[in-house]
Amino acid sequence: MSRRLYSVLAWLVLGVLAVYFLFPIYMALINSFKSQGEIYKSVLKLPSSLNFDNYTEAFTKANLLKSGLNTVIVTVTGIVLIVFCSSLAGYKLSRTRGRLSGAIFMLFVSSMLVPFQTIMVTLTKMARDLGLQGSPLGLGIVCAGLGVNMAVFLYHGFVKGIPRELDESASIDGAGEWRAYFTVIFPLLLPITFTIIVLNLLWLWNDFLLPVLLLNDYRAYTLVLSINMFFGKYSRDWTLILASLVMSSVPIIVIFAIFQRWIIQGITEGAVKG
Amino acid sequence: MRSRRARTSLSLILFVLPAFALYLAFLAIPMIQGSYFSFTDWNGLNKTYGFVGISNFIEAIRDDTHFRTSILFTAKYVVVAVVLQNAVALLLALLIESRTRAKGFFRTIFFMPNMLSVIISTFMWVFVFSKVIPALSSYGALKFLNLSWLGDPTVSFWTIVIVSLWGGVGTLMLIYMAAIQGIPQHLKEAAIIDGAQPFHMLRYITLPLIVHALTICIFLTLNGSFKIYDLVYALTGGGPGRGTQVITMNILEEAYQGNLRFGYASAKAIILFLIIFVITMIQISVMKNREVEA
Repeated sequence: MSRRLYSVLAWLVLGVLAVYFLFPIYMALINSFKSQGEIYKSVLKLPSSLNFDNYTEAFTKANLLKSGLNTVIVTVTGIVLIVFCSSLAGYKLSRTRGRLSGAIFMLFVSSMLVPFQTIMVTLTKMARDLGLQGSPLGLGIVCAGLGVNMAVFLYHGFVKGIPRELDESASIDGAGEWRAYFTVIFPLLLPITFTIIVLNLLWLWNDFLLPVLLLNDYRAYTLVLSINMFFGKYSRDWTLILASLVMSSVPIIVIFAIFQRWIIQGITEGAVKG
Repeated sequence: MRSRRARTSLSLILFVLPAFALYLAFLAIPMIQGSYFSFTDWNGLNKTYGFVGISNFIEAIRDDTHFRTSILFTAKYVVVAVVLQNAVALLLALLIESRTRAKGFFRTIFFMPNMLSVIISTFMWVFVFSKVIPALSSYGALKFLNLSWLGDPTVSFWTIVIVSLWGGVGTLMLIYMAAIQGIPQHLKEAAIIDGAQPFHMLRYITLPLIVHALTICIFLTLNGSFKIYDLVYALTGGGPGRGTQVITMNILEEAYQGNLRFGYASAKAIILFLIIFVITMIQISVMKNREVEA
């Protein structure tokens, strides 16, 4: 096979797959600007005008502002807790030798094999018992409990690459252990912290099953739950639904556009080390 | 000396405590409780319940046809999804890495679905399958698209595969791309000097040197595909009837909808865990042996 033919073939395959990947997003986008009648007449044509009526209507009807805020609360609570708790634990477990430290680390790591679906039923009960059911803040805390194991594992591995002399020099300077940790060690953990933030951001922002089980009042709903409810309620009215789908995807796509390089790096590292 | 050791232990405990408390409350205890309840007939509400031994497990495996069907359906999906997702992701990675131009553009396009919520993007696909494809199939040449994409379990299986492929290859592609970039340049050059054709390059240079990536990606897809829920929920809701019901749906149905058989659902959840555990362990131990160093 000549190089030229190979190259043409490669472009062709990439092109076809690119169409497949862009197709649903493109279709959702163009049809979100149409009126009911226009969609009925022609799904495939471009909209006759850029009409944002669907967007304003869907924004209020789908309760996107409130649920957007709830999603932010869940995501921020989860990420802050995961980063704070796991970096402390991962650092210390990596630095301490001995059976206790090894055993605790093994507990964290082996739990990474437990599928969420296996514990979801009892986890829901636990959240109810602790009064964490029904609020975005509570959901964030529960999510942190599910996320710490992986983060501890990643921090543990990363800390191994930091010379011990740095801890010692910090303690010789007379800084207490905690101060040394926050002023000297934590700043060094920023690269892996970023990876952990990226992985958890995608999970927490888009999670569905756990929020469904823990939030039963629509005022506490996250974006995905509100969209899900909206879809069920207006299943005949695609104009509104598509507008809501596009709107709820925008924040995460903007974040992706800005941080693409780091996100891709974070995903790759997280997967390879995890 | 003794006091120093005690101090080390104390500081270990203090640093680890916050993470460990979260882990205990939301992972370890639910797991232990779940294992315990799987031997009971608890309904999730009553204060009292009876201990029933392993009868839940026996019932799930021997008598529960819905559960068995959902396991078979999920297993069929897992096989197709693992093979297709990895094949397409590897193909994409190879093609993109062999380009000199537009690498970033293609990488962005193929990774984008991974940023979106599965629920939200699957609703877009519901629109495509219920409105766009019927419109397309009215054109003569595309008549073959005129299928009941969401209403017929045999077709819906492939609808699920199409959507999961769309949402699943991005991360895998990134991992394969990183692995391909990690192949030492001198090996590729040596092979080209020796007159290797593209296919030989793939067979004798690239594939053997990215086996570690294959191990990771197959693990990720195996692990993820068994747990599939969101996508099927948004696409078909498990229907028509229970035609596309996956394991996780069956468990949830048992625990919450109608039946309220909490203990029985826990037993099924443990079975799911064991299935995933055994299969991924076999996969990892088989594939680890095949990895080579560059």
